[in-house]
Amino acid sequence: MRVVLAEDNVLLREGLVRLLAEAGLEVLSGVEDATALLADVGRHRPDVAIVDIRLPPTRTDEGLRAAREIRRRHPGTGVLVLSQYVRVSYTVELLDGGANGVGYLLKDRVTNIAEFTESVRRVGGGGSAFDPVVINQLVQRRAGDDDPLHVLSERERAVLALMAEGRTNQAIAERLAIAERTVEKHCTSIFTKLGLTASPDDHRRVLAVLRYLNA
Amino acid sequence: MSDLVLAAGFLAMAAVAWRRHPRGRVGPLAAVVGVLVLLEPVPGPWQLLPLAWTAVLIHLVAALPSGKVGAPAVRVAVALGYVNAILSAALPLPGPVGKEAGTLGALLVGAVVTGMQWMRWQRTSVPGRRSLTPVLAATMVMLVVLFTANPLWTPEESLLDLGALEGGLVAVPVAYLAAELRRRIERGAVADLVVQLGSAPEPAGLQAALAKALHDPTLTLGHWSPESGQYLDAGGRPVASAGAGRVATRVDRGGEPVALLVHDPALLDEPRLIEAACTAAALALQNERLTADLRARLAQLAESRRHVVQAAEAERRRLERDLHDGVQQRLLAIPMTLSVAESALAPGAERARALIAEAKDQSLAVLDELRALSQGIHPTILTERGLEGAVLELTAVAPVPVRVAVELPDALSAEIETTAYYVVAEALANTTKHADATGAEVRVAQEGERLVVEIVDDGRGGADPDGSGLRGLAVRAVDNGGTLQVTSPPGRGTVVRAELPCG
Repeated sequence: MRVVLAEDNVLLREGLVRLLAEAGLEVLSGVEDATALLADVGRHRPDVAIVDIRLPPTRTDEGLRAAREIRRRHPGTGVLVLSQYVRVSYTVELLDGGANGVGYLLKDRVTNIAEFTESVRRVGGGGSAFDPVVINQLVQRRAGDDDPLHVLSERERAVLALMAEGRTNQAIAERLAIAERTVEKHCTSIFTKLGLTASPDDHRRVLAVLRYLNA
Repeated sequence: MSDLVLAAGFLAMAAVAWRRHPRGRVGPLAAVVGVLVLLEPVPGPWQLLPLAWTAVLIHLVAALPSGKVGAPAVRVAVALGYVNAILSAALPLPGPVGKEAGTLGALLVGAVVTGMQWMRWQRTSVPGRRSLTPVLAATMVMLVVLFTANPLWTPEESLLDLGALEGGLVAVPVAYLAAELRRRIERGAVADLVVQLGSAPEPAGLQAALAKALHDPTLTLGHWSPESGQYLDAGGRPVASAGAGRVATRVDRGGEPVALLVHDPALLDEPRLIEAACTAAALALQNERLTADLRARLAQLAESRRHVVQAAEAERRRLERDLHDGVQQRLLAIPMTLSVAESALAPGAERARALIAEAKDQSLAVLDELRALSQGIHPTILTERGLEGAVLELTAVAPVPVRVAVELPDALSAEIETTAYYVVAEALANTTKHADATGAEVRVAQEGERLVVEIVDDGRGGADPDGSGLRGLAVRAVDNGGTLQVTSPPGRGTVVRAELPCG
């Protein structure tokens, strides 16, 4: 899997390059700012671009804007956005063009190499990877007693959250230490209870779940 | 008949003096003169001492204006007056000359006392002279009349018989009463002036008030301008100190020039009034100067408060950026490296693996704390997205549906942006925690030179504007030159409205 990386802090950039390389990913370039990122993505057409949000020159949201630009210009390239903070509104923005090949994670996640590289591969493969903190915020705001989320069982809510993060049934099954068949049953039940139309097995289910949560 | 007028005059003088100085001697002395004059034609023991009233009258003139006989020489003269009255009754000289000798003696003593008072008059201040002048003048006129009309040189047809004595004498109480009346009128004018100044703090109003109180519509007031070294009127034009038929009176205070009154020369005849007017003007101008000074200081304070707020804001933004771009990033590199180390461990090195995992968790925990600290120093989303993006994030995480309308002016200062952010954040947090609302609305828009931030919910209302959160917001709004209003009637929702300066 081919990767282009944009991170302004040289220490982190080099650390990430090493980490990804050791995990067997091919890092084509590690750049400092959004302009170089867009140029390199255009040149290399990587499977995935990993982008820090605060990039030079203003160090505000250049990375986020570059990520949207990449998604618009190069649909074949997945975009994984990293940040010191995760925001619900940024998640919504990133989902604007669908949930395919998009991810948004807290920077801390890079310290779990296995999980992180798995997320990179997922996004590079057209899937999605959303941070549990964002998903948790979305679920939390539906805390009202009369909210439809309360018709779900506790296990179903856990499955829902993992689905929203973009995980596959297999990954959910591993995480919850249950059989994949059981996960599938939970998914069907969740979609029925919440009245969602997309198929629980469809790759569009992440978008359906996130849109439902954000409604 | 003329005796009655004379007696009435002295009694009236006694009454007025008594009211003015209840414990002074002018009243009793005038009363005694009046009573003696009244009793003269009536038979009684007082006829044994027919010239007693002259002695008391001399005493009265000597005691003016305060009632005290001051210098020892005057005391001696007063005593001589009494001696003269007694001797002329006890040892009458024979013949027509003898008959008038007592009167002559009284005239001489009276003239001496009047002369002494005249010398005293010359030494006293202008306002002091004013109370003495009429009576002294009347006394002098009376003396001249008595001397010229004395039967010693006009024995056949004495002017005294024609009422000259009474006419001359009555001038004394009349002069005293006139002076008193005048003083009262002036005091009234000064009182009016003070009252008018109380409600006319502006320089133009002060000039009008002075003109009215001094009955001089042409009066011009100039106040001293230390910068230009001249007197300026309310419009800032220099005031000419003198001209045809104009007189200028300087008003100083503590040796410093304060003002200049340019007025009609006739006013100089009323120095007390002018003096009072000058004092009042000086006070009013000083008051005005202090007020202007205070206003300038307040403006200065507001300005410096704004600077403090701005500096604090800039410092907080800088801190947040420095933390983010520096410490937070570098700190993250540690658990990252530890992860790589972890994966490079040979199988079986379980103790090292556990220790590395522990170190990683610890550094991630520190990073978490640092993130919270950074967020507390300055809302990081404001750095990334500005106010509009920050409000969108706040509404995105709110558990109730929030309608948002944000229309920002082109340029918004950093501290106003942050204040507006905290208003929305705190109000929405209250809505979430306490209001039990089904919906809310956030509106941020420029209205004139104000940025209006309004958060409305349909919850249960009854929010306490003095609760710590809202109170803190109000203080923050005021610190930034704005206002915060909380309207929260029970059962009818809550409106938090902040108006902040912008543009």
